[in-house]
Amino acid sequence: MSSLAAHYFDGRRAQRHEVTLVLSGGRAKIVGREVDAEFEAHRVRISTRIASTPRWIYLPGGGACVTEDNEGVDRLVRERPMQRMVHRLEAHAAFAALAVLLVAALFWAIVDRALPFAAARVAEHIPAQAEATLGREALAGMDQFWLQPSKLALQERAALAARLESLAALAGESPAYRLEFRASPVIGANAFALPSGIIVLTDELVKLAQAEEEILAVLAHELGHVRHRHVMRRLLEGSAVALLVAGVTGDVASATSLAAAAPTLVLQTKFSRDNEREADAYAIELLRRAGIGAQHFAAILVRMEAQAPRGPMLPSFLSSHPSSDERKALSGAR
Amino acid sequence: MVRPEFRGSAREYFRIWIVNLLFTLLTVGVYSAWAKVRKQRYLYGNTRLDGDAFNYFASARAILKGRILAVIVFFAYALLTELYPLSIWAFATAGLLLLPLILVRALRFNARMSAWRGLRFDFPARVRDAVPLYLGMPLLVVATLGLAFPWFMAKHKEFVISHHAFGISPLGCAMPVGKVYGIYFRASLIIAAMGVVAILGAAMLSPVVMLLPQAGWLAFLLPVLAIYIAYAFAYAYLQARVTNLAWQNTYGAGVRFSSTLGAIDLAGLYISNLLAIVFTAGLAVPWAVVRTLRYRMENFTMLVSEEVVHEASAELLNISATGQELGEIFNVNFGV
Repeated sequence: MSSLAAHYFDGRRAQRHEVTLVLSGGRAKIVGREVDAEFEAHRVRISTRIASTPRWIYLPGGGACVTEDNEGVDRLVRERPMQRMVHRLEAHAAFAALAVLLVAALFWAIVDRALPFAAARVAEHIPAQAEATLGREALAGMDQFWLQPSKLALQERAALAARLESLAALAGESPAYRLEFRASPVIGANAFALPSGIIVLTDELVKLAQAEEEILAVLAHELGHVRHRHVMRRLLEGSAVALLVAGVTGDVASATSLAAAAPTLVLQTKFSRDNEREADAYAIELLRRAGIGAQHFAAILVRMEAQAPRGPMLPSFLSSHPSSDERKALSGAR
Repeated sequence: MVRPEFRGSAREYFRIWIVNLLFTLLTVGVYSAWAKVRKQRYLYGNTRLDGDAFNYFASARAILKGRILAVIVFFAYALLTELYPLSIWAFATAGLLLLPLILVRALRFNARMSAWRGLRFDFPARVRDAVPLYLGMPLLVVATLGLAFPWFMAKHKEFVISHHAFGISPLGCAMPVGKVYGIYFRASLIIAAMGVVAILGAAMLSPVVMLLPQAGWLAFLLPVLAIYIAYAFAYAYLQARVTNLAWQNTYGAGVRFSSTLGAIDLAGLYISNLLAIVFTAGLAVPWAVVRTLRYRMENFTMLVSEEVVHEASAELLNISATGQELGEIFNVNFGV
């Protein structure tokens, strides 16, 4: 026989009664000045232990006892192994320290490995056609503000398009893309991949290039973005990261949860840099198959960087592209 | 005079938080529902009013169902609004139409899952009571270009507080709308004043940026920082004053309330929490939760004028302690 000091509430009125809870012979007895009740012990439910918060003993019929005597309750009943384990882990400072390391490692594994992997698999199953509206609107938007019709001769465009087509054919499973020529004094020498496989090439880049191979190298890089579904993956990864960060900082007040914006930004630029690296690797492999030297890629990158308008210098962890030294080294190495 | 007391410690809560975060990551988020229940039970169990602790009953399964639904809706929203920008209107319309339902169900869930002295709280409002306010008011706010917003917020507070009950003892609340307008007016002055300071600061800083191109990103960061501080102050000011006003105008059976949150205290709390969280890569979250909760408790008082024995509502007596029957799907926080 064992007994506990507890408070009893009948569940009908918010009134506290001092009682003693006695457990013996499969019966639970509640005895106090105003209370005298008895229940079958197996119909009594006991709340799981959380630190040293009071323990609730729920009785059939809506009444409940609460006690501060956690040790007493633990002597009376054995919690399920899982519950006991969670409480023990929560009680130890050493495990908390270990948990910090494990959480950091898991976080890294999720962000660096699991998430990009899962996003890539999911993106493969979403048809590129789903991006059609987005691609059309993105191009229309850019046309309105930054792009002008290309002034390149039609023959020159046709020749470039044909060269890109034969280059893309070397990739084996060639992604569906659409090459668009535009002039853009604002953007300058550049090329970019838009949703649904639209690749925009500026006249300025064609002029900047000293060899056709250099243009093809840049287009191969954009083809890499298209092939690896970077638009869709960025969408998926961005949403998943927002959920992940919200999961950690979700408990705090909303003025403080602005703290969630910073890590989200850092993580999203990380995904962007990873995508650029993937597109670089794709381009270099494609160029190798076409027998075009990787030095052409490095050469055009250097020239594009030299003519690009200088923005504010961002620390590398906030930059959307890998550092140009890293990219030059990559193309030089093959 | 009765004041709630928070006995938890940041150290203890941190251990619970990190262990549950670990399990949540290991189970790809599934454990987050159980984690939520454990964390909530720690905070409730350490909150005492007149000697007795609060109790939180929600079942993790019910919360998990709600979270799975929320994640699906979130991904659908994130992808569809990006791929088909026009679909944002469909989501906005659906969200607006469902707002009264979601709000009432979520508040009811949280109230019924909370108890003190063995008696559950309740939120007996019907969805149709919420319809005029939450369908009509947002339209009015848009039509008046936001001028009706303080009025809407006053009515929102009033609705939420006055539909809460402890057992069958209801709360009543009547917000003085004129005072709410005064608070919003002063908050907008704070933002305007801080905006001027931010612009002047940026202007003074620009020569430095010209001289040191490497520090260019500072020119981007500092105005953002100034705007954040302005926002935090205005937000804290609104929170503190509107909450104080709401409790000052709330009454229950034999009880009145008093809330003495300070705008500057609260802003300091928000900003220091933010800094701590950023510089510890999130590890300070439990500390921030505990100190914010403690501050809020210290500034809340119940003024009891007559002892009333509160009674349970008959409907709630039939809910088992686990609350499984509620099969609640919307578990959103609308914090009063």
